[in-house]
Amino acid sequence: MKKTWLRDYIIKRLLYAVIIAWGVLTITFVLVRVGPTSPADKYLANLASRGQDAAQVIAAIEARYGLDQPIYEQYINYVFNLFRGDWGWSFSTSMPVMELIKTHWIYSFQLVLLSSIFAALLGISIGIYSAVRQYSKTDYIATFFSFIGISIPNFWLGVMLILLFSVQFGLFKTYYDTSIPLLSLANLKQLILPVITLGTGMLAGYTRYTRSAMLDNLRKEFVRTARAKGLPERTVIGKHVFRNAILPLITIIMFDLGSIVFGGAYLTEIVFGIPGLGRISFNAIFADDYAVVVTVTLISAFLILMINLITDITYTYLDPRIRYD
Amino acid sequence: MTKGLKSITHIARKVGGVRNLLFILLAALLGLTILLDIRVVEKIFDPLVYLYLAVGIVVALYVIPPLYTSRRLVQYYWQRARRNRLAVVGLAFILFLILLAIIGPFLTADPTEINFEEKNLPPPGFTLQETVYHLETQQFITKTASGIWEHPLGTDNKGRDLLAMIISGARVSLLVGLFATGIAIVLGTLIGVISAYLGGKTDNVLMRFTDIMMTFPFFLLLVLIVFLFGPNLVFIVLVIGLTGWTGTARLIRSETLSLRTREFIMASKALGASDGRIILAHLIPNVVSLIIVIATLSIPGVILAEAALSFIGLGDPAVTSWGMVLRAGQQTLDTAWWVAVAPGIMLFLTVLAFNFVGDGLRDAFDPRSSV
Repeated sequence: MKKTWLRDYIIKRLLYAVIIAWGVLTITFVLVRVGPTSPADKYLANLASRGQDAAQVIAAIEARYGLDQPIYEQYINYVFNLFRGDWGWSFSTSMPVMELIKTHWIYSFQLVLLSSIFAALLGISIGIYSAVRQYSKTDYIATFFSFIGISIPNFWLGVMLILLFSVQFGLFKTYYDTSIPLLSLANLKQLILPVITLGTGMLAGYTRYTRSAMLDNLRKEFVRTARAKGLPERTVIGKHVFRNAILPLITIIMFDLGSIVFGGAYLTEIVFGIPGLGRISFNAIFADDYAVVVTVTLISAFLILMINLITDITYTYLDPRIRYD
Repeated sequence: MTKGLKSITHIARKVGGVRNLLFILLAALLGLTILLDIRVVEKIFDPLVYLYLAVGIVVALYVIPPLYTSRRLVQYYWQRARRNRLAVVGLAFILFLILLAIIGPFLTADPTEINFEEKNLPPPGFTLQETVYHLETQQFITKTASGIWEHPLGTDNKGRDLLAMIISGARVSLLVGLFATGIAIVLGTLIGVISAYLGGKTDNVLMRFTDIMMTFPFFLLLVLIVFLFGPNLVFIVLVIGLTGWTGTARLIRSETLSLRTREFIMASKALGASDGRIILAHLIPNVVSLIIVIATLSIPGVILAEAALSFIGLGDPAVTSWGMVLRAGQQTLDTAWWVAVAPGIMLFLTVLAFNFVGDGLRDAFDPRSSV
């Protein structure tokens, strides 16, 4: 019974995701191609400076990458190639976009993953503690700091952390070192500042959401019943209140996971010089490398869509009453 | 004479009151000046002045009169909001910032004035030891630089006064925050209300479009558009405003969905009111408190977006903004730390103040809260 409607639902959502992703792709493609600069311009300046005939070079490049065709044909070609697994060629780095993404995604992934774990674990714990001891001194301090954490611009926080811990105390390097292997303690150490930079805002958000969700549920009738039954407070809080409070929190955490890659992580990567997806898309935009820009945007959109879908499916397992027919 | 007056009242009624007529006329005048500015005479006003004028017109016509006509309601909400001390502190800071932005530039030096004689001066009270290579003696000598009160916040590596730059940045941030939020809120409200009220196909199309916009990585889109079409402050404001309406549209839509089946809407429909009139005269006034809260809480995000753009080097080079100063400060962290500290603190306090006020307003407008 459950299996069929869930399967139908997933198929429907996947189709919908494809349509939305197609919309995002089209808008980005048009935006990039209609923009005043052409990817060939950079080559032109470069080659003209070496004394080659500019017009000839441009024609050759445009023919090679199909830029001389009308825009709708380029668009159709691009979409077809996309389905065949060819994501285009990155002009600025001289490698296929697929290769570029493959070598760089891991840097973003490790940053986002560690920050999310840091923020979620700490945020949820502080939030629960704050709610259970409402109006205590700890609660006030936590609330105050969560306000600060939400308001602090994360790129400034990053600069300040570098100033304090790298420049003044010399504890860390000011720049991310890619020669350090990913799975090593040294890499973990150099990720401490970026993770704090990216995680603080999320941490503050999760603290606030957990606190208010816990407080909402603490006032409910079933909590009184549980207490009246003589259950230990630990069970009441942990099993009854927390399980109900966690549901909306999961949406928020998952949504953050999808949107942070090109939001907060983008700036964190720029501040610390981490060569992740944010950094390469940033470089690509400045180098008019449109294939990279379109692909990265598409990946981001796809990530958000998939994470939303996974969230909704997780819901049905966490709360069996939820049905999407 | 009377005939002319009559036709004016007639036109005024057509567009929904004298106020709207006045607004249309002033907007047309402003648009004409901009066109003249671009096509015929170069530089009548700075781009910034146009934004100020536009904000001024909107505030004078659509913010002050309603506040005045519903004095008692405003007073009631103020009583409720006043009990939230953080919100009052936040409001005080915002007012201080607005004052600073308006009169500050007349009191300080030119933020773009370069003076290498006084470069890298720390704020008064701090002294800095710097090792420099002395050309005449051909030796490294240690120079001490102490802050002077002429530059209360110190100077950067080109000798520009940091206080003047901060004040200029306050102007930019406030303007971007208020104006871009204004655009986003108007768009979001219209789309949300229309989508909920008309329902059916319109709702479907508008909400799918909202979905697409929401799926876009907002900041990446911003960077891309600003890079492609050039970093101009007016343009940045427009782009942030035109891409930032999605959350508002969703919230307003769900609020309107519950409103549209209420009796007073049915009644005005039965009395033959047009869709436009129901939306403008009945639905929107009933979501105003929600709109105010959303607006206050989305200003920080907009200010941060502009600051982040300037920080990564896509700010309007014609104005000095906090993000730009911060960017300059990041590059001189080891010699002049104060340049990176000051704009960040201002940015942080501004965002904090708007968050406090937004939270206070939300509680004040919520009839269930016991504040």
